[in-house]
Amino acid sequence: MSILVNQNTRVLVQGITGLQASFHTKRIMAMGTNIVAGVSPHSAGGFHLGVPIFSSVKDAVKKTKANASLLFVPARAVKDAVKEALEAGIKLIVSIAYGVPILDALQIHKMVNDHGALLIGPNTPGIITPDEACLGVFPENILHRGHFGIVSRSSTLTYEAILETNRAGLGQSTVVGIGDDMIAGCHFDRIIDLFHQDPDTNAIILIGTLGGSYEEKAAAYYGTIKNKKPLIVYITGFESFHDDIGYASDIITHGKITIEDKKRIFRDAGALVLNSIDDLHETLARLK
Amino acid sequence: MNIHEYQAKKLLKDFKINTPKGFVSYTPLETSNLAKKISFKGPWVLKAQIQAGARAKGHFIEKEAEGLCGVEIVKKHKDIFGVADKMLGKNLVTDQTSSKGKFVSRIYIEEYTKTKQSFYLSFVINRIKACITLLVANQTDNIVDLAQKKPESILRIHFDLNQKVSHQNVLQILEFLHLAPSNLPKLKTFIQNTYKAFLSLDATMLEINPVGLTFDGSFTALDAKISFDDNALFRHPDIQKMRDDYEMDESVLRAEKYGFKYREFEGGNIGLIVNGDGLALAVYDYLKQMHESPACYLNIKGGVDEDKIAQSLKILMTNPKVEGILINILGGFLRCNLVADGIVSAVNEIGLNIPLVTRFEGTNKEAAKAILEKHHFPFLTADSLQEATLKLINAMKESD
Repeated sequence: MSILVNQNTRVLVQGITGLQASFHTKRIMAMGTNIVAGVSPHSAGGFHLGVPIFSSVKDAVKKTKANASLLFVPARAVKDAVKEALEAGIKLIVSIAYGVPILDALQIHKMVNDHGALLIGPNTPGIITPDEACLGVFPENILHRGHFGIVSRSSTLTYEAILETNRAGLGQSTVVGIGDDMIAGCHFDRIIDLFHQDPDTNAIILIGTLGGSYEEKAAAYYGTIKNKKPLIVYITGFESFHDDIGYASDIITHGKITIEDKKRIFRDAGALVLNSIDDLHETLARLK
Repeated sequence: MNIHEYQAKKLLKDFKINTPKGFVSYTPLETSNLAKKISFKGPWVLKAQIQAGARAKGHFIEKEAEGLCGVEIVKKHKDIFGVADKMLGKNLVTDQTSSKGKFVSRIYIEEYTKTKQSFYLSFVINRIKACITLLVANQTDNIVDLAQKKPESILRIHFDLNQKVSHQNVLQILEFLHLAPSNLPKLKTFIQNTYKAFLSLDATMLEINPVGLTFDGSFTALDAKISFDDNALFRHPDIQKMRDDYEMDESVLRAEKYGFKYREFEGGNIGLIVNGDGLALAVYDYLKQMHESPACYLNIKGGVDEDKIAQSLKILMTNPKVEGILINILGGFLRCNLVADGIVSAVNEIGLNIPLVTRFEGTNKEAAKAILEKHHFPFLTADSLQEATLKLINAMKESD
């Protein structure tokens, strides 16, 4: 078991013929991902990397029964691509590009909710269940199947967490990057919930950053779970990185939230809170 | 991206939002002459144009401008030249700037507006609710403080993109501000126009603080601050042109040209090169724990071009404050070998006489290591963040 994606996920790649998309599609196919279709209006009817290409998502879904879409389209095209996927009935969408305009992101958020779908990203390395499916740009040489669920806002810190679980001789059930854009498609609490339903996940690592309050929402949710799985939390960030958006969100969120506030909220909810990413190593060793 | 107050006010005028009559000026003589175009007898308001708030409580670093703040009310025309002369070319420090302050290259001079009442109003992107939030408060000072100590004194109304500012919304705001019912039509127009501006401009924040209710019953934007969504600027070529490069550090601008983010910090002597903000933050936290500080960081996230990577590495490598470099790359989308190629070409061009530690993980990590080994540079390599940091700190001590 795992969450959201596995070997049976039938993946469609939107924007498959692009240079970067080709590079990563080839890799994730080698990692075992079941890529059933690609969408590119210019190359429809042919094959790319051995994958049949369709002119629309609707067409691709009809012919190949694809049930998840991986978006390798540029940021400014994400809104239209998501819309197309939703209208074709896709319920799981992963959008890699960073830099989606915020008003587009708000519209995307609403469309995804209205369709009862789930969007991972934008601005994410994607989602991976090791040895089964990778919808994203995760490096192939660092993942090992195991029982840790990882959910993170930062892509590079996700890799750090993966490496640490490996070092401790543990592995990952599923790794989800929810993305570090201002408006994330999916929040931590949803993923924490899914990990709790997954018998293959024994413990969870959550990596948050300063800015916004997805972490507070996650902590509040975790606090209400009765049969909790252990949750290891690392939150990073110093103020100078977030000066622009921080100001406005401080007013919305009833005052300034510091890293210490976020850590305290998680501790109160029963999570194990790290002071440094390097402490992850020891904490995992203790959990073993 | 941020713009100056005078530019923001000009934009607001396009959306039929009242602003006091005013002009931007670059010399004391110009300020003094423009004052006459506004009115023959003052008072006038001279406002230092820097892209930071809390100007009225700020102070200048230079002795000549002692006693002045960033917003001065001048009653007599003969005094305008002198005040402008003192403000222009000086550095203004406020709560929202660094201790070095910001250079004042221009003054916005406008008519002094008498008000019956003033209040705070802004539209902002609300991350958690994924909507747009309107914030209104009676108090106009220290709004962040107010949010913390008396959150109930700020009215928050949430809008999703398809929702308009309704009659009901305006009624609620009117009551909250204790305004007479007769103000309703004009308040409604003012808020609706502001919301329209926010959406049309792809703003992330549009703050009018204060809004003034004048004695003739109009609402006027006495100050204006607009932050734009950088990712949507491609839709607004006119706004892109408003950018004041003098507000930004030269190195930051150069890195931006190559598509990367570069920042400098006060104090510190370590140059960080990473791919991703999260990683930069974590390394920063870790260095602080080890009682070390970064001087600057360069984020080469999303890089696909070796030359651009090399060019931006040079920005960091030539920062005189940098005494050691830590390169921590966790390749995913970014391929480690491209970074290694970039390092080699930067070092070949400008040389390297300070310690440099690299740590590569992920996509094409082995290829990256091979590239560095082939060139026999005196680099140190590491397999974890801890190892990389310790090696760098030791090497820096040795080279002292």
